[in-house]
Amino acid sequence: MTALPRRIRDELVAIVGAANVRTERGDLTPYARDATPLFHAYPDAVVFPGTTAEVAEILKLATAHGIPVTPRGAGTNLCAATVPEAGGIVLVLTRLNRILEVSGDELLARVEPGVTTARLADAAEAAGLCYAPDPGSRTASTVGGNVATCAGGLRGLKYGVTRNYVLGLTAVLPTGEIIRTGGRLWKDVAGYDLTRLLTGSEGTLAVITEITVALLPKPSHSGTGVGYFRSLADSGRAVTAVIAAGIVPATLEFLDEKCIDAVERFAHLGLRSDAGALLLFGDDGDGEMVTVHLARIAEICGAAGALDVTLAGSVARAEALLAARRCSLPALSRLGSLTILEDATVPRPRLAEMVDRIDDIAARHDLLIATFGHAGDGNLHPTCVLDPDDTDAVQRAHKAFAEIFAGAVELDGTITGEHGVGAAKRPYLADRIGTDQLALLRRVKNAFDPAGILNPGKLGS
Amino acid sequence: MTEPTAGGIFGKDLLDRCISCGFCLPACPTYELTGDEASSPRGRITLMRALETGHLDDGDPTLVEQASFCLGCRSCETVCPAGVEYGALLEQWRDHQWRGMRRPWLARVLMAVVRRAWLLRLQGLVRRHARARAREGSPALLLGCVERGLYPEVSRAVRRLRPEVTAPAGQGCCGALHAHNGDSASGAELAREIGARLPGRIVTTAGGCAAHLSAHLGRDRVKELSEYLVEVGHLPLGEVRVGGRRTRVALQDSCHLRNGMGVTRQPRELIGAVADYVELPNAGTCCGAAGTYSVLRPEDSRTVLAPKLAAIEEAGVDYVVAVNPGCLRQLRQGLRARGSRVRALHLVELLYMAEGSTGPRE
Ligand SMILES: Cc1cc2nc3c(=O)[nH]c(=O)nc-3n(C[C@H](O)[C@H](O)[C@H](O)COP(=O)(O)OP(=O)(O)OC[C@H]3O[C@@H](n4cnc5c(N)ncnc54)[C@H](O)[C@@H]3O)c2cc1C
Ligand code: SF4
Ligand code: SF4
Repeated sequence: MTALPRRIRDELVAIVGAANVRTERGDLTPYARDATPLFHAYPDAVVFPGTTAEVAEILKLATAHGIPVTPRGAGTNLCAATVPEAGGIVLVLTRLNRILEVSGDELLARVEPGVTTARLADAAEAAGLCYAPDPGSRTASTVGGNVATCAGGLRGLKYGVTRNYVLGLTAVLPTGEIIRTGGRLWKDVAGYDLTRLLTGSEGTLAVITEITVALLPKPSHSGTGVGYFRSLADSGRAVTAVIAAGIVPATLEFLDEKCIDAVERFAHLGLRSDAGALLLFGDDGDGEMVTVHLARIAEICGAAGALDVTLAGSVARAEALLAARRCSLPALSRLGSLTILEDATVPRPRLAEMVDRIDDIAARHDLLIATFGHAGDGNLHPTCVLDPDDTDAVQRAHKAFAEIFAGAVELDGTITGEHGVGAAKRPYLADRIGTDQLALLRRVKNAFDPAGILNPGKLGS
Repeated sequence: MTEPTAGGIFGKDLLDRCISCGFCLPACPTYELTGDEASSPRGRITLMRALETGHLDDGDPTLVEQASFCLGCRSCETVCPAGVEYGALLEQWRDHQWRGMRRPWLARVLMAVVRRAWLLRLQGLVRRHARARAREGSPALLLGCVERGLYPEVSRAVRRLRPEVTAPAGQGCCGALHAHNGDSASGAELAREIGARLPGRIVTTAGGCAAHLSAHLGRDRVKELSEYLVEVGHLPLGEVRVGGRRTRVALQDSCHLRNGMGVTRQPRELIGAVADYVELPNAGTCCGAAGTYSVLRPEDSRTVLAPKLAAIEEAGVDYVVAVNPGCLRQLRQGLRARGSRVRALHLVELLYMAEGSTGPRE
């Protein structure tokens, strides 16, 4: 069944034990895909290493024999980054799942890559601290996957993204050397910043086996509010005014009209049906500051022509407001069984313009594309819902997204804000970074991975 | 290899619902044990899809293993943003995978036994479960197959607490056992038979039976005991004390009650009325009893149970309450094997003990 020579299989078994090597077709099937629709390829083996040393042995073997290796965490990425297009080994890192240290004195944590984002956040919280990056997939996604994709989240504007919190990494090069970059230091300029280079490298340069992240003190208070606007342009003006007023809120999420519609039909939350945009805002910090900020944001929304603004007085009320955002994906996914969730991103002031373009493109291709996303950092999630058996619609969706990405680049934006390039966004990469940068990217790849075995082809490598 | 299957095993809408987001991974006890996608809900759905399209045939060892390794706890359903009905998919999968002689032989024996109504009655004669003729308009107590044999005191306690609940003889099995073991047709048929024999409202002390019956007879006709008690405004009397203080009591949710019917508040409220309620950090996760699972896969069942027992000991409680006889048996055996001082009780036993402390109800 497998294309992997018996000899290699035996060597893998010698490294990690028979229970941690799978080569049967049935065992491989679940690893032929990740969370990305429409991408599918079988590996020849799935291997579960239990230590950094085992990872090193496996990679040496793979380099010696030219066997492709695709690292995998929870497989929740949305750019087909873990689909083993070239076959070979899928290297699953879920057995490396220990939290090694949470230090309140040094404000940092050390974890293995298979720890889920939520477990790290909970451990930090239990120590009165906070791990800030909060991707929507946090309950399932792994910290290793977060680092390898430089995951963002709902609080990007105020708190930044994963890269802003990675202090140091232990990583195994495809040739088997184990390197340690950065460490427990906030300041360290010895050598190139390989920590940042590996962050967002989508498993194409090295396999990460330990991560040191920075933590923050846990904010004592948080608050939430919601505003309805006639149009996204109105809500965009409010966002600009809020930031001009010197407030950088933790949360600024929006839903467009189609999203509001879908959510209301699905969850009956009593959202206003006459609104063209819903803006969810929130902040955290010390109690008084939060209250002042929220009141000021509400005032600014009103001045920008909001139809209605509500502040949550209680946690229960805040939960109810957040429900609209939480229900976006559930509501949309029920409108068709193929859900394509994208993440084109534009500079904040161009957000409304970009959503107009998306609406226009969707109409021209006769597709349902609803958009929600992060108004604070211009990160949009245009979501196309369709019937997978309708091959014509699927083709139209491909065309529409190509136009959306081109549109984003035209507006000084990017083809992907946080999900990554993987295999899915590869055709658009050169348009965004240019051919010179792409050639440099490939030379960097070659320096790390001369045999070209690590997640080959992903991220344009 | 047997001939490839050409679909028709699963309801297309059911299988298409899954968007492969992976949100269900952390909710799944078997994924927690292995970290292997194949033993996660999403991985199993990918396997089902491969079976449906003929990419894998039903003799494939991974399909065989994963169909059986799954606890059927439906914890995955509670976190799924797309509303995937995993429980229904699993029934369809096992209907196909475990048809006829492919079903584990122990499951076959159990299913045959509970279909013999006279055997169930015999159990009752020996073990003295409650009996009380049906009355027009009053709810009837379902005498679960496991419970009437193993824990007849449970049905007797219900009758003492709520005399309006009748316990008519001549009941069969509700069919949950069949539905979960690859014979959903018999499962549905048996549920309908119970529906005909107990024409009014049905009260059950087993979360598993409640979820199965309500799926076939309608949510309104079927009430799990705690749900029934809260609904009729039952006032728990007395309290359960040990050594001059109120007892500390934890709950083990029944998976199907929690994940299938969404009942979580009621048993906690009732316990809190007669004792100090202690929430276990993992009260909502499967205890490993999982219907016939503890019999079919005893070792895995114990592995799933182990962290639960540790949490119960850690919590420093006197009792842990179950709302399903399978869970009760699992907890009792596990606690005994550990030499624990904590005792497992059915909810109604706890309430009955409390009431005993105050003298007879008016
Ligand atoms: C519903 C939904 C919502 C989402 N919301 C967000 C969001 O808000 N923000 C966001 O940024 N993303 C989001 N994502 C995308 C996804 O969850 C993130 O990309 C996440 O970081 C992936 O983590 P993972 O553990 O699943 O990694 P995987 O999907 O397994 O892998 C992702 C990439 O990382 C590599 N990799 C994994 N582990 C290692 C390692 N140890 N060493 C080297 N390379 C490794 C893989 O090769 C692959 O290239 C969402 C996804 C879904 C399905
Ligand atoms: S959470 Fe639901 S939709 Fe997502 S992978 Fe699991 S079953 Fe599928
Ligand atoms: S029913 Fe339970 S064991 Fe089975 S896939 Fe769902 S969560 Fe996992």
